[in-house]
Amino acid sequence: MNVLDGFIVGLPAAAAIASLVMPSRFSRPLTAGAGFATAACIIVAVIQASHHRGGHDALSALFLLPVAIVYGAVGLYAHWYVVAERPDAAGERYRREFLALTNGFAFVEVIVPLVTSIPGMWVALEATTIVAALLVRLQGTAAALEAAWKYILIASCGLALGLVAVIVLYAAGARALGTHYLPEWSSYVHFARQLNSDGVRLAFIFALIGFGTKMGLAPMHTWLPDAHGAGPTPTSAMLSGVVLSDAAYVILRFAAIADAAVGPTVVQRMFIGVGLLSLFVAAFFLLQQRDIKRMLAYSSIEHMGIAAIGFGFGAPLAIAGALLHVVNHSASKSLAFFAAGRMVARYETREIAGISGSVDALPISGTLFVAAALSLAGLPPFGIFRSELMILTAGFGSPFWAVAAFALALLIVAFAGITRWVTATTVGDAPVTIERGEHAVLPIVGMGLGFCVVLGLGIGVPLALETLLADASALIGTAP
Amino acid sequence: MHHLTLPEAIAGTISAALLLVQLALLRSLVLAELITLYAVQSLFVALISLAVGITEREWDLILLAVLTFVAKVIVLPVVMRRLSRDISTRVEIPARINVTLSLILAAAIMGVAILTAGALPVKTGEYLPQADLATTLAIVFVGFLVAILRPNALAQVIAFLTIENGLYFGTVTLAPGLPFVVGILLLIDVLIAVVVFAVLVRVLVSQEASASVDVLQQLKG
Repeated sequence: MNVLDGFIVGLPAAAAIASLVMPSRFSRPLTAGAGFATAACIIVAVIQASHHRGGHDALSALFLLPVAIVYGAVGLYAHWYVVAERPDAAGERYRREFLALTNGFAFVEVIVPLVTSIPGMWVALEATTIVAALLVRLQGTAAALEAAWKYILIASCGLALGLVAVIVLYAAGARALGTHYLPEWSSYVHFARQLNSDGVRLAFIFALIGFGTKMGLAPMHTWLPDAHGAGPTPTSAMLSGVVLSDAAYVILRFAAIADAAVGPTVVQRMFIGVGLLSLFVAAFFLLQQRDIKRMLAYSSIEHMGIAAIGFGFGAPLAIAGALLHVVNHSASKSLAFFAAGRMVARYETREIAGISGSVDALPISGTLFVAAALSLAGLPPFGIFRSELMILTAGFGSPFWAVAAFALALLIVAFAGITRWVTATTVGDAPVTIERGEHAVLPIVGMGLGFCVVLGLGIGVPLALETLLADASALIGTAP
Repeated sequence: MHHLTLPEAIAGTISAALLLVQLALLRSLVLAELITLYAVQSLFVALISLAVGITEREWDLILLAVLTFVAKVIVLPVVMRRLSRDISTRVEIPARINVTLSLILAAAIMGVAILTAGALPVKTGEYLPQADLATTLAIVFVGFLVAILRPNALAQVIAFLTIENGLYFGTVTLAPGLPFVVGILLLIDVLIAVVVFAVLVRVLVSQEASASVDVLQQLKG
């Protein structure tokens, strides 16, 4: 662990502790600064990793990016959000708890891709569950409580299965590595051929089911719409943008070990199975959503499904596409949540039927919502179009072409669902009772930065990122 | 003919006892009994950790056994008893289906778990080459069943805790060399999760005046 990693982990941790003791008028700008500085450090670390410096492999570096994208903007957004949510003096306790937990959330989220041991990843992922449940509960409503309860119960049960995977994998390595060894993923990959192959296979299946619960893959996704819908908006963005990708990262580490130890067949079939099911479930729920934040939550299930299908195709292009898809999804989804949160605050409802003409009422946030939603629907010139194209192109060229065709059909259904609700909420004149104008600068700055990432990744992939994608897909995929 | 060694016999007896306790969770509809059952199960888990620790000369496991005893046999049950006394005068737990049916279901699930684990030629455990994975899975799956069939917040917490007991059993028997720090982290994680559960239970009670999660039925679709 070098100095840069120290900053990446230390900044959010320090901000969390400071937010707990400081009045919120100080910790609001502090959170914004910590988010921004952490994002900057992560970008430096990612560029270093693309030159094989800094000690992180390509996969770790790639999965740091969602934290940079989301946490970098969350601080700016939360600066407005906590006051808009509880403007009075009595809300100080809420504001303090919210900011401390949000920084703490970023702290545990950034640890997942940084730790090198498999049990360490599990502990960090369980910590994200605990912090997120506390954040979701903060709203104080009956729905928030129900969502928090379901989330911690279902996610903990999922992680229990994930722990079975960790234990079985450790046992599978005992013959090759001795009964006492450090369970680092690198040593598993290195000694892959000597691991007990049934143990590895079993471990991967448990990992996919267990950590797949946290990733929001169907049929273990049932907590996700509730937690995303009922939680505070910045929390929804961090859950959807980072926790899902963290869980995907852990599954990929298991997949890499299983690939190296027993070959890609089991891994590919399982990924494609859960991916298609997730896409199927999400596409049809998207068509009949009435709540704007739950709509975005189902879209997360959809995109995690697409990423899983991409990992399942197994070709380097598909894996690079799926990895890029996870990063794109973080950017687009957090932007969509931020903009939707502005609309919910203005219209004081999450019901899609109660929101109309939001571009009229909130010219910038409404427009950014349209952009983010079109990106999520898979339209060019945004990033998700590029990654979906990569995945499907690879799919049509593989033995799984029928899966690719089915996935494409489901993507069209999801597209119809998203565009329908986006048109309903944004086009036209806002009701006369709704106030016009943005009245806040920092959340707009945060969302503007997010928009630059969403658009930028659509126009072109930076060279450093391209190198990392190629390196990482070589790490996971079957070496030819 | 393979003769059982003493550690093997101890491990076998304890894993049978763990399974019986897990089944008994479904038999009882009184919260206080569930808490007692959890304490008993935790005691067995602490014992197996101690037994493996002594025979393998693993000081970590002996220390973990002591910590498990303090945390799970004494502290957690006392806290939960206090919590259950605070939240309601009615300690009977609602059940979705009757006791006999749920026991049959649990037995079936256990059978599936044992057959699944038995079918896999993973021979990794030291003491119970075939049975320790089976026991772990059976405890975890029946724990899920308890959480599903008992719509009461504290009963669901206890279900989660017994699942964790099963996992701890799996760690000790399947992977006794797993670094000490991992064991400690698991224990801390469980304790924090329980604290969060407790916070949520309290809020739940203050809002709805009962710990039944059946009131949590609004979020759908």
